[in-house]
Amino acid sequence: MPVKTPKQRRILARTGTETFVGRGEPMREITALGSPRGSQSGLLLFAAPQAGVSELLRQSFDELFRQRGGPAPVYFAFSRTDAANTAAARRFLQTFLTQTVAHRRDDPALVSAMPTLRTLLDLAAPQDYEWVERLIQDFERAQDEGDERALVRLCLGAPQQAAAAGVRTLVMFDDVHLTERLRGEVALAPAAAQAALQSGVPFVLAGPRRRLLDLLNGAAQLVPLEGLRKLHLERLKEPDARTLVDGLAKRLGLRVSDETRDLIVQQLEGSPYLITALLDAAREAGAHLESFRDFQSLYVDELLGGRVQRRYASVLEEVAPSLTLRRGLLRVLYESASGTGGKAPAEAWMKRLGADAVEFERVMRLLHMHELASFHATYVEATPTTTWRDFLRVSYRLQVAASPRALVVADTLVETLKRAPRTMARHYRREAALKLGDVMRGFNFEGVPASLLRPDLYAQKYRGLPREEVQAGLDAEAETLPLPQIVHAASCASFHPPIEQFCDEERCSVAHGFESGEYAEGVEVVWIAAEVESKLEAGRALTGLWLDRLEQVAQACGFERVRFWLVSREGFSAEAAELLNERDAYGSSREQLEHLSARLGGGGAWAREAGGAADEFAIELPMSEDTELIAAHTVEQIARRMEFQPEAINQIKTALVEACINAAEHSLSPERKIYNRFRVEGDKLVITVSSRGLSVPVSLPENGVAHAERQNGDGAKGRRGWGLKLIRTLMDDVEFERVDDGTRLRMTKYLRK
Amino acid sequence: MSEPLTGTPAPEAEGEVAVVYAGDYVNKLSGQRIERECLTRIERGCRALVINFRDTELVNSIGVSILLGVIDTAERRGRRVAFTNVSLHTLKLFELLGLTRLVVLAENEEAALATLGEFAAPAGH
Repeated sequence: MPVKTPKQRRILARTGTETFVGRGEPMREITALGSPRGSQSGLLLFAAPQAGVSELLRQSFDELFRQRGGPAPVYFAFSRTDAANTAAARRFLQTFLTQTVAHRRDDPALVSAMPTLRTLLDLAAPQDYEWVERLIQDFERAQDEGDERALVRLCLGAPQQAAAAGVRTLVMFDDVHLTERLRGEVALAPAAAQAALQSGVPFVLAGPRRRLLDLLNGAAQLVPLEGLRKLHLERLKEPDARTLVDGLAKRLGLRVSDETRDLIVQQLEGSPYLITALLDAAREAGAHLESFRDFQSLYVDELLGGRVQRRYASVLEEVAPSLTLRRGLLRVLYESASGTGGKAPAEAWMKRLGADAVEFERVMRLLHMHELASFHATYVEATPTTTWRDFLRVSYRLQVAASPRALVVADTLVETLKRAPRTMARHYRREAALKLGDVMRGFNFEGVPASLLRPDLYAQKYRGLPREEVQAGLDAEAETLPLPQIVHAASCASFHPPIEQFCDEERCSVAHGFESGEYAEGVEVVWIAAEVESKLEAGRALTGLWLDRLEQVAQACGFERVRFWLVSREGFSAEAAELLNERDAYGSSREQLEHLSARLGGGGAWAREAGGAADEFAIELPMSEDTELIAAHTVEQIARRMEFQPEAINQIKTALVEACINAAEHSLSPERKIYNRFRVEGDKLVITVSSRGLSVPVSLPENGVAHAERQNGDGAKGRRGWGLKLIRTLMDDVEFERVDDGTRLRMTKYLRK
Repeated sequence: MSEPLTGTPAPEAEGEVAVVYAGDYVNKLSGQRIERECLTRIERGCRALVINFRDTELVNSIGVSILLGVIDTAERRGRRVAFTNVSLHTLKLFELLGLTRLVVLAENEEAALATLGEFAAPAGH
């Protein structure tokens, strides 16, 4: 009797759903391939290193397996342990049949059992017996004949055979790049792509983003991949990475402070692999991560002898199997990553490594694929990610420079601790940047009020006016300036690295575009925009300095038709505005930029962020007499700023008071604290009241019960317990959010003017 | 913060009606003060109570529950209770919780005293 699939049981997934974060969208795309209404049949998944592509596919497998009635999911990862094409093909056939039979029987335990082909035949459902038997017989015959091509074709064609018998499958090929390591006359990656395309069944082909297309196309470029959906899997976004750290910490029973969590996310650059590795290591060491010191101690241990070290070391061993080559490679990579070498001619590296052209190209291609170096025809450069750079530094010192291990440990720990505040400061600056590149990407031939790019006009017309009046004035403004259509925007430093001496990468951008829709040489234009740091209005000298810098960029890059645009948060002094006009440059304050972004169709990422960004206020109250009034007065000020009507303000205050009272009365919170958050989200105010301890009961008497219960002689008992009822009446949306400990009540009030 | 209750004896000219002033925040503490003042007045023989909410900005459900207790006690003793100078927001809250069906509502003290006077002196007495 087959075991029925439990709802959330893991089959191939290696992590629980609580630590599988930030991948909802790609997982939906993959599972949608199995839908009969799906418009796509094939998907190419381009993965950044350590982005967790295998886990994504495994989770997708589990999800599809649980969805009874859909296609049978098949997950197959190529492996270098197969050694030869025939072994890989044979293992694919066995995996395909095992997982398909398991799905048809609703027997997840079979997936990891790896039965023999003959056993699978016995396990196959009666309606599947015929096609499974035929496939196995054909396979045995092909194996006896020793024809590699025939065998590979037969095995990879199994999904098509199943489909012909009415059995729908969805095949996911992982680690496609490992086919390169297999012996045989067939190029296995293109063969797999070809077979998948011909089968007509939905499929996924996943591999490193820098190598996948080359592999699938193969030398002959026979596989038509143009029509396939292409999905890129990057490292986690910061909020998702934070959620991952929190989830793992909880699962592993680790204490991780918020500050340390944020440092982990920054230093490990959102890599789910590294985050999981470090937190696993913390659990094994019994170390909590409550300070930067805790984390850096663990990190240094991992760099010198833990998972991080083993991961990078194994890649280096794969790339450079001989010790001599590996030491040479370590030296050039270290010099490049530490900034002493930087970008170097490929010939110079080849000479230093003492490798011939074929060997050198193989090494560089692998480093490039793993994104540990960038290799282009004429130059090479080590990738400057933090962990890789740290690994190279310690490995170089230990293996090449033969420094004492204790000294390397001490130096690395000291350096990483000194670096931590800088890492966080860099993160904060990046978050606060106006992201002018994103704004310019939104330019699409719009005509915008001239005062948005001319500080003198803006000051003259709108200085000191309320936002609504400014808005109305801009709407009525007759003089407009035409924006170009921007076709490419990138950081200025990527065009002209010396600019990094003066500003962070994201604070200066270069955007290429056209001033009219002809796409002709005469209308090409380059906008160079920079965010000028000034707490007050930028003065003439500072403005002049920045215009000179941008001029140098334009000259160094050979840009002919350029437009300079400076943005200073507080705008520009009258003299600075005059200078901008003299030099035919544009200038905006943050306020002007906000108006400009609001006017752009779609507005660019910055505008969307700015528009959607919520002002958030937080207040932590002790549970004691009358402290809820402090919260009520705070929310009153916020609601007034939002221009709620007095009646609504009173309702909000009363609801908040009731929520605080509920928290204080029912939670039995040992810490005796109430956490209030007030978020201004466009036209609504969202209030969250949370406390640790017991959950607050949610079923409370109905409206007007005081009277009824009195009549029923319920007396004092009936006089309490109306808090939530009141809150529900006074606020527009009220819900309890699920929390592990205590209660979190979320209340929303909409602004109605 | 809630003001201390300014429970003032009613204008003594009215004799049997006491006026009690609620503070700016009617919560547990200030509610209990109102309660104490009202019970004292009832004990002293007042046959009606006027609770004046002229300073009241905010009332919480604990405060309301205590007011209900006062109303209960008064009713059991055959006393009348009137609320005056109730802000619109507080009035809606009282309505929502069913209080307005239990008390006399008056715009101000004078109106309350007049209404209670009518109840206190039925026709024929």
